[in-house]
Amino acid sequence: MTGASARPGAGPDWRPAWLPEINLKRREEIAAWLFLTPFLIFFAVFIGRAMFAAVQMSFYDWHALRPSRPFVSFENYEELLRDDVFWFALKNTIVFTAMTVAGTTVVALAAALAVTQPVRQANFFRVLLYMPSLFSVGAVGLIWVWLLNSQFGVINYGLSFFGIRPVNWLGDPALVLPALSLTTIWWAFGFPMLIFIAGLQGIPEHLYEAARIDGANGRQLFFNITLPLLRPTILFVTVTGVIGHFQVYGQPFIMTNGGPGRSSYTVIFYFYHTAWASFRMGYGAAVAVALAVIMAVVTVVQFLVISRRVEY
Amino acid sequence: MNGNIFRLVILALLAVLALPFAAVAQDGEVTDLGEGDLKVSFWHGLGGSDGATLNEMLVNFVDENPDIGVTAELIPWDTLYAKLQAAFLAGTPPDLVLMHASELPQYASYGVIREMSDWYTSGGGWLPDEDLAPSTYGGMHYDGVLYGIPLDNHGMGQWINVDHFEAAGLDPDGPMPDSYEGWVELFQQLTLDENGNNAASDDFDAENVVQWGYSVRQYPRVIFLAHLAQHGGSLVSEDGTTVTVNSEAGIAALQNSVDLVYKYNVSPVPAGFNAWEGYANGALSVLPAGTWFLNFSRTIDVNSKAIAFNQFGPEPAAWFGAHTFFVPAILEGEKLGAVETLLQWVSANQGHWAMSGQVPALLSVQASLDPENFPSNIVMGASFADHGVVDFSSTVTAELYRTGLEPELNAALNGQKTAEQALNDAAERMQAILDRGE
Repeated sequence: MTGASARPGAGPDWRPAWLPEINLKRREEIAAWLFLTPFLIFFAVFIGRAMFAAVQMSFYDWHALRPSRPFVSFENYEELLRDDVFWFALKNTIVFTAMTVAGTTVVALAAALAVTQPVRQANFFRVLLYMPSLFSVGAVGLIWVWLLNSQFGVINYGLSFFGIRPVNWLGDPALVLPALSLTTIWWAFGFPMLIFIAGLQGIPEHLYEAARIDGANGRQLFFNITLPLLRPTILFVTVTGVIGHFQVYGQPFIMTNGGPGRSSYTVIFYFYHTAWASFRMGYGAAVAVALAVIMAVVTVVQFLVISRRVEY
Repeated sequence: MNGNIFRLVILALLAVLALPFAAVAQDGEVTDLGEGDLKVSFWHGLGGSDGATLNEMLVNFVDENPDIGVTAELIPWDTLYAKLQAAFLAGTPPDLVLMHASELPQYASYGVIREMSDWYTSGGGWLPDEDLAPSTYGGMHYDGVLYGIPLDNHGMGQWINVDHFEAAGLDPDGPMPDSYEGWVELFQQLTLDENGNNAASDDFDAENVVQWGYSVRQYPRVIFLAHLAQHGGSLVSEDGTTVTVNSEAGIAALQNSVDLVYKYNVSPVPAGFNAWEGYANGALSVLPAGTWFLNFSRTIDVNSKAIAFNQFGPEPAAWFGAHTFFVPAILEGEKLGAVETLLQWVSANQGHWAMSGQVPALLSVQASLDPENFPSNIVMGASFADHGVVDFSSTVTAELYRTGLEPELNAALNGQKTAEQALNDAAERMQAILDRGE
């Protein structure tokens, strides 16, 4: 019942006689599809379908519980273009994302460099530094609300020893986004740190040895070897960071409720307010679709700009 | 040995880091009560100190009704409304939900909550219509049909630190001011800098205040609605079609609160200030808070007294609403019977609910409260009965408030916009919402 022929060195062929012979390339393709299929099914059902539904919903005056859902064509998008709160939220989102991605990348890289040094208990510090990433956004938000509290906060208490007057971190419109960004950097730098550790371990040691023989100092090693060879890692960290932080929601929801005024409104926060608090699912879907398009454009631009200088 | 110490340190560190999770886990809690096979799922947002009293009542209910169990889930109000929307969509709403009466028109217009007329005596049921105040009873209707069972009249008053009053030479038991100027003067006497100078003093250091007279931090919307009514204004015109929030009365009402922060220095900038904690720690003398503050006031080391809401405008007005039970339209059979039993029991035991500080919805229960044990209920309840104002009732009230009004009030109180600019911006957005909702 098995195939009559077997390739030399390929071992016994258990292929049923009725099954035609398949070459290696084809077999690899089939294997790849078999591995991919569960994810593709998951993607199609839970993500692709939801994306399609969101786009469809954005063309309707869709209140979730209202029985009638009239088709309104592009009216939601026209309203979006005129909606100053959306544009303000988008500006906030861009500012927050820029600060947070830059901060996270720098802190994660510094932490990765520190924990890859030949020091005792390096693994302990890796675990310690990664730990904030394990917290939920709810826990992080509540902890930092107290840390940043203008009346009783530990941070203001510490600053008072340097003669600095209490700072209203979450109440000052000029400080609220940096404060949310600071919170997020503390929370989120653990994962990119792991990526940077992997990237650092992939840089051949002999490059450093050769440079040291040529008299390079630590700064030169970092800027002329480490940083250039980490560009693919930096690209990955920044692209995933931008995608992730563009969707910031939990921190403003828990820490400021979008305030003071609308100073910490972000696009997803506004989406929540529109779709879930005000029940306007159709308009909320238009907000979400617009954000997705903007994120796609930003990601493509990032790839084009950074990948030009990436050495894989 | 060193290894053991190291492992011990790591474990201790993990334990310390885990503490926040334990603290967070206590919020949004689910309370599973009773052994009865028939379980009533119940959602509410009573996260204030009144939630504890509700749980006591539910424990008593399941003790007296062993066949019925209750799974009560406490969800913060904003999250509750969002979650409820999803639950109705999925066809899996809770068997019973407690919301504010102002939400009734929206859910009733969607047809997702049950008509309750048959549970009122006018429809052959057990809840006496005539035992409810007209404003409460009116709030249970949509298009002439009853949709809710009211639990209480909860509304705004003020909680004062008696020791602060006495230290400032003020009589906490005496009559309170009936004008804005009078209240400003009182707040000035209670606001102290680190040198002990009050805000009326020429030597007052506004940069180093250690005790505030008042705070505009909490509940800006309902406070504004009361002050708006005090100045003779309204949110929307009588015919319900035109937003009038930016009228002269509206601007005057908001300006009063703004001036307390930036002109008279008797209230801290609201954002970043925790008024309840400030009051609990002796940093705030007059806390505008509601009937729901009573249980919290019992847990803090402050000699507190409840008084009626302040009067900044020519006429007195105090905001109040009604926590109201709603039942999904799809509920039927044994579950519906169990829910009716629960609501009937809760209505019959509204006297217990008064222990939370809230004013019971039933007039007969209100009348039975004695001044010695229920002083805050009585003083605030009297103000609601005498000059209470309720929320604007429409199918788009939630959107008007959350998207149109609240962020603008917040911006004005935090000095980002003038009162006039904030209310003009609010009016523009609210008018668009109102027009779209028609």
